[in-house]
Amino acid sequence: MSHFKTTRKGIVVSFSPEERSFLGDVVPLLAGIGETGVDPAATRLNVPVYLDDRDASDEWWRLMGEDLRVAQNADRSVFGHAISEKTETLNLEEANAFLRVLNEARLVLGARMGVEVEDDHDQLPDDSRHVLDYLGWIQEELTLELSHTL
Amino acid sequence: MLALPTPVIVPDTDDETDIDKPWQVVVWNDPVNTMSYVVYVFRKLFGYDETKATELMLQVHHEGRSIVSDGPRETAEVDCFRLHNHGLWATIEK
Repeated sequence: MSHFKTTRKGIVVSFSPEERSFLGDVVPLLAGIGETGVDPAATRLNVPVYLDDRDASDEWWRLMGEDLRVAQNADRSVFGHAISEKTETLNLEEANAFLRVLNEARLVLGARMGVEVEDDHDQLPDDSRHVLDYLGWIQEELTLELSHTL
Repeated sequence: MLALPTPVIVPDTDDETDIDKPWQVVVWNDPVNTMSYVVYVFRKLFGYDETKATELMLQVHHEGRSIVSDGPRETAEVDCFRLHNHGLWATIEK
């Protein structure tokens, strides 16, 4: 059974207590992203935008970086609230925020686990792979649910 | 009536080409993003139908990159922002 169900009031999110406990680590995980060049997660997320123009790239990040952080923090807040309740009904915008957080969590974990090509995923230790796959499973469920809204 | 010669302005083709050429937003392959999520994001952000979005996603997956939108620089920078906000690895080029 999917963790997400579309109703007339919105998308109902429900997780078991164990899952909510596990997902409770996601927001702190994302809040703890370190510096580019030190934390592989930051290096993955803060990529140059103009590959052949360092100055233009820095300028883009100067202009857009703060807005991006504000948007990400708003998403994390929605996520944190949604998993703190046994069931929570999200509107479309909130459901999209939830989806972006799941994706970002997988990107952060994947980068720190050293996943650089698709095959790396299969070589991961079981525990690491299971975490990525579990988050990926939830992400797929919500992606499917949201695809019906387009 | 005197027929004046029509002035001929020879454009500097290099510059003109450069100005006319749109900025392109490129999405790069990522080993963690799922295929269905990438298709969803392309559909949601750019209004592509599922077939077009899937084509672009497969191009990213198989060729490593795909141009997902183009236009004036400002538009490209905003598109790039929206893609980054969805965790996709996007760059801008001419």
